[in-house]
Amino acid sequence: MLTSAHMMALTPVILVCATAVTVMLGIAWRRQHAATALVSILGLNLALVSLYLVYSAGDVSTPLLVFDRLSMLGMVLVLASTLACLTMSHAYLEGYPGRKEEFYLLMLCAAAGGMVLVASQHLATLFFGLELLSMPLYGMLAYTYRDKRSLESGIKYLVLSAAATAFLLFGMALLYSQSGRLDIAGLLAGLESSGGGAWALAGAGLMLVGLGFKLSIVPFHLWTPDVYQGGPGPAATFLATASKAAVFIVLLRIVMVAPAFHVEWLHTVLGGLALLTMIVGNLLALIQTNLKRLLGYSSIAHFGYLLVALVVADGLAVETAGIYLITYLMTTLGAFGVVTLLSSPYSGEDASALHHYRGLFWRRPYLAAVLTVCLLSLAGIPFTAGFIGKFYIVALGVEAGRWWLVGGIIAGSVIGLYYYLRVMVTLYLVEPGMRGRDAPDNWGMKAGGVVVLGLALLVIAFGVYPTPVIDWMSVLTSPVH
Amino acid sequence: MTLALVVLLPFLGAIVAPLFAQAGRTAIAIASSLPPIVALAALYPHWSTLAAGGVLVQTHEWLPAIGLSLSFRLDGLSLLFALLILVIGVLIILYARYYLKKHENVGKFYSLLLLFMGSMLGIVLSSNLLLMLIFWELTSVVSFLLISFWNYKQDARRGARMALAVTGGGGLALLAGVLLLGQIVGSYELDDVLAAADTIKASSLYPVALTLVLLGAFTKSAQFPFHFWLPHAMQAPTPVSAYLHSATMVKAGIFLMARLYPALAGTELWFYMVSFTGMATLLIGAYTALFKHDLKGLLAHSTVSHLGLITLLFGMGTKLAAIAAVFHVINHATFKASLFMAAGIIDHETGTRDMRRINGLWQFMPHTATLAMVAAASMAGVPLLNGFLSKEMFFAESLNLNLPGIWAYLPPVVATLAGVFAVAYSARFIHDVFFNGKPVDLPIYPPHEPPRYMKIPVEILVFACVMVGVFPTFAIGPLLYAAAEATLAGPVPEYHLTIVHGFNLPLLMSFLAFFLGLLMYTQRQRFFDFHARFREIDEKAVFEAAVSRVVEWARRFIEVLENGSLQRYVLLLLLATLAVTIVPITSLGFNVGSLGISPIDLPTTVGSLILIGCALGAAAMHRERLYALILLSVVGLMVALTFARFSAPDLAMTQLSVEVVTIVLLMLALYYLPSWTPREASLFRRWRDAIIALVAGSGMFLITLAMLTRPLDSISRYFLENSVEGGGGSNVVNVILVDFRGFDTLGEITVLAIAALGIYAMLRETKLTAPPTDGQGHPWSTDAHPTILKQISRPLLPLALMVSAFIFLRGHNMPGGGFIAGLITAVAIILQYIASGMTWSHQRMPFNLQTPVALGLFIATATGLASFAFGYPFLTSTFSHIHWPVVGDFELASAMAFDIGVYLTVVGATLMILASLGRLTNQSEVKPGAY
Repeated sequence: MLTSAHMMALTPVILVCATAVTVMLGIAWRRQHAATALVSILGLNLALVSLYLVYSAGDVSTPLLVFDRLSMLGMVLVLASTLACLTMSHAYLEGYPGRKEEFYLLMLCAAAGGMVLVASQHLATLFFGLELLSMPLYGMLAYTYRDKRSLESGIKYLVLSAAATAFLLFGMALLYSQSGRLDIAGLLAGLESSGGGAWALAGAGLMLVGLGFKLSIVPFHLWTPDVYQGGPGPAATFLATASKAAVFIVLLRIVMVAPAFHVEWLHTVLGGLALLTMIVGNLLALIQTNLKRLLGYSSIAHFGYLLVALVVADGLAVETAGIYLITYLMTTLGAFGVVTLLSSPYSGEDASALHHYRGLFWRRPYLAAVLTVCLLSLAGIPFTAGFIGKFYIVALGVEAGRWWLVGGIIAGSVIGLYYYLRVMVTLYLVEPGMRGRDAPDNWGMKAGGVVVLGLALLVIAFGVYPTPVIDWMSVLTSPVH
Repeated sequence: MTLALVVLLPFLGAIVAPLFAQAGRTAIAIASSLPPIVALAALYPHWSTLAAGGVLVQTHEWLPAIGLSLSFRLDGLSLLFALLILVIGVLIILYARYYLKKHENVGKFYSLLLLFMGSMLGIVLSSNLLLMLIFWELTSVVSFLLISFWNYKQDARRGARMALAVTGGGGLALLAGVLLLGQIVGSYELDDVLAAADTIKASSLYPVALTLVLLGAFTKSAQFPFHFWLPHAMQAPTPVSAYLHSATMVKAGIFLMARLYPALAGTELWFYMVSFTGMATLLIGAYTALFKHDLKGLLAHSTVSHLGLITLLFGMGTKLAAIAAVFHVINHATFKASLFMAAGIIDHETGTRDMRRINGLWQFMPHTATLAMVAAASMAGVPLLNGFLSKEMFFAESLNLNLPGIWAYLPPVVATLAGVFAVAYSARFIHDVFFNGKPVDLPIYPPHEPPRYMKIPVEILVFACVMVGVFPTFAIGPLLYAAAEATLAGPVPEYHLTIVHGFNLPLLMSFLAFFLGLLMYTQRQRFFDFHARFREIDEKAVFEAAVSRVVEWARRFIEVLENGSLQRYVLLLLLATLAVTIVPITSLGFNVGSLGISPIDLPTTVGSLILIGCALGAAAMHRERLYALILLSVVGLMVALTFARFSAPDLAMTQLSVEVVTIVLLMLALYYLPSWTPREASLFRRWRDAIIALVAGSGMFLITLAMLTRPLDSISRYFLENSVEGGGGSNVVNVILVDFRGFDTLGEITVLAIAALGIYAMLRETKLTAPPTDGQGHPWSTDAHPTILKQISRPLLPLALMVSAFIFLRGHNMPGGGFIAGLITAVAIILQYIASGMTWSHQRMPFNLQTPVALGLFIATATGLASFAFGYPFLTSTFSHIHWPVVGDFELASAMAFDIGVYLTVVGATLMILASLGRLTNQSEVKPGAY
């Protein structure tokens, strides 16, 4: 029965969906870029506020969705990332000659998908959420379709994502065939009683492929750099932040509750993938001359680090994953935000080649400073959020005695340091006669500029005084569900 | 609070100092020197406590969750280092005032210098290992910025990057090591760690922790094999080299070893790892230094060698050796910093640092020459200078090592040999630069003495060398004692700071080194020739080559795997998936479940053969889209028939009507696509893809087989059993739609309506240019609406409407229902559109398309709400049977009204979607008047 408690818990999702509908009908009625952006942002903020109310009301569980602390964390992350992406989209699309408004619609739909995904405790909602998250992304990536690369990235993501989704579904089917259940907890209980065996392993493996694809874990990462480079800035940002965070949280939930995932074989596979991901991601980032590609590979590497939390999979792992996700999101949003602000679909391809950024500091000191802070954080330098995240991950690996992974994190970070530095040095180079791509003059006034500046400050604030977030995280994750 | 303040002061200075940049170099130098001077003054009151063996610990909470606190500790060791940092820092600030040129960015320089000073103070004053680590990483970063201060030089940028990559990487290893120590001890506070020495050494994790910590220390202090970054850091301005890369930062690793000495040292592992590393560094540094023609290069390698010496002393593990190590830290800092400054002066005044060119400077700058010669003599270990004292202690300790058998000779021999080289390169520094004929081709000629104040820092440091050398007990005794006490964290053994301990073996070694060193210098040309036979190893080139090799691998990897080809990505994705699931799938095998295989009959066989054939055909003919589409529609038809065959006529009907609408939709899209695509894939590729598809299909087959032959229990049984009594209908699909899942259906038709509206709105203003001809270049037929089709379609409409009414009415019990009826109506109307054109059809349509959608939704919702009127929850259904005159017994369910809503919405929405797309086609037709 649908009770008022259920309705209450569903409010954030409903609000986001309602916003999407409002935006859509609004577009049908009259196209107005600023108003569309405003309505979207308003809706997301309302959802965030309602999330607080839901959180204070306590856990609610329905057969399909569960609103516990982990889902709350996921929803906050998804909503906050979407908000940032939306704000940047406004700056980005301002100069776009085509239709601007549908982008918001797509992003809102994807956000709703992400929220369903993080709260799902049933394979049906998991699949539904994942698809609702991915489908709009195809459109978002190909949004500036007159640019060949954008179109290409959309199609690439569509085809590969469809293949990965097929594996995911197949894995679900296999698990279902063994347990006869689709709710995750029941499914796993069923597996335990029936012994699982090869079927369950194959199912779990295939699901891992499907979800690993979305997280761009090596060797399922091939799409990442192409898509990041080609897609419009805000779409790539959304893909790298909200989408990945949501998928990771649901993977975390599965791994945490699932005995099928506690077989040593899978742990070995996960550990191997983690190691491979951090090393390959970092190594390939080393040779990139395009900032968006570089950030793409770096995000691959970061999810390699995050996988360590899944391999360890104990109480502290959730807290670590939460903290690392938060630091990753802040930083990535900031870095991609700068790229987005410097690009405009009006003037062709996004400004992402490294040489666009030569001497940026001398033209746009604040933007360069923001980017520097974000890169430092990605490299895990003290007094930035990235350091706290790295600290937690290394501590987790050390505590669990996963020496190979700790070694991988260290080796990966060293390589990382090297290429982040290369970008940073580029920002401050003085070379006469260079005139790179510029952000619009009043970028600081625009919401997007305020957002990236705020993100940079947040990165530093979190690096210096992370206690509130850490406390929040330990409260969020204290009773492991 | 004082200690936190001491650390904070330089950071504040770093913010404030650049403000004075406009006021000139003197102003900013004065402003920058204030923080260290104030810090020194702040430290002074604590001296009495420390001299008495006290320790000052001040703790403020910061991040208790991760064990990080702002706790600072002042004891003899940290005081010693703090003094070095602050005093030499002030001198460097003064020196840099004259070293930097007017046009250079002095604000940035002083700001970074102070930033470094603060971070370095942070390292030595931290009492929390994590806090120390944070400052540790900060020094690496600031050092990077300082080395690349002249960032227009590519060498400087590369050297800086290499330095940061090595030291930063070491820092990360240290992070892991510190976390491990914290794990063993349960706290990161230094007091707890030092107190838990026995626990640490007994722990099974001790080797790992020790290795990681030492990795951090060795990289920072440029120990072999990580020593290569230091010489290349010499691209930095000389004040930076003097301050960071000889006096302070490179001592951070040494400091760490001293700090953790009580906790980690004293084991076999420590002995072998530390002392052998130190020995190798000592020798390699000393040897290489001799052959460097660059003044700063010589000093850099000599620094490496001396750092190795200190490390070796710590590695020996005896208390006296540790004291000697601490002592040598002071001595090395004083003489090496002054030598660097002297080298900077020479560079400044002559414009070059190449020792083959700068000769005979004694005549031009006797004052500087005297200072440099005293400092170099100290470096060589000449008596009455401080370098001699610690070197004597070192020789003595090298003799005291109790290594087994012949190994006992190794340390003293290495020590003497290094001493020989040290004397030789010191002699070279003195003789080559200040004597040895006339200068050759100097960029600045004639050189002269630097400004008065530039020499003051050198003078002070050289004075310190002499003072310590002549009156060691007076000049350094108490401080050294306090530092030794803190290092050993226990009783200090008796040691004597006297100039000569009498004629003994260490003194003999000194003399031997001295004599042989001078001899070596006189015969230097032979050694140079000997050295020249070997290929010079340029560490930077090696490092860069290693990096570029890695880059090359990565590039090749990318070329193979990530060449941007979507087909390859899909292939790799498939292969990767196969790799992940190969184990379970192979163990699955040919698995037939308990139900067994059902018998094969003719219709099913024929049907499935057609199905397979058409699917294959569609794949094979995909380049000719129209045919592919036709084959695809056959596939859809066969699926519908399969449903019918397996007794699901309702599903079959639904599938059929959905199929028709989908195909119409696809046909509309087809219009914009070329009708034919050239063949692009090579033969190899097609075969490869076919094989992959076959493999994937076989796997699918195995799993499907295994799954279908097992008993399956699903919710459908419940629906089958309850549909008549619960919903009053025997068409389960329809009952599910309008009754069991009525709420869902209401939601779904709402979505459908919204989607239709959305498509309508978005396509309203879209303009597509249609190709003027088809793929082969034939122009489109001008006869848009063939007469025969037109004539046939018209009578079809009422017929279809009747059929749909029939299907609608019988829907609750027989295959049919509102959804299918809606689709049939929509198809019939679409046929009119196709046959007679949009305009014609619209003129005859009594309503616009939004109306049925809205009406349908309204009716469906109203039906749901109506149940409130009878006191039941939303959408409760009821049914009764009535007798109609012609039809006979007829069941009237409240769900029927709901079904009408569904019907209307489906008709409206489907039409709206198709018509919007069709309108596009119409609008872009070449001849708009064709219909």
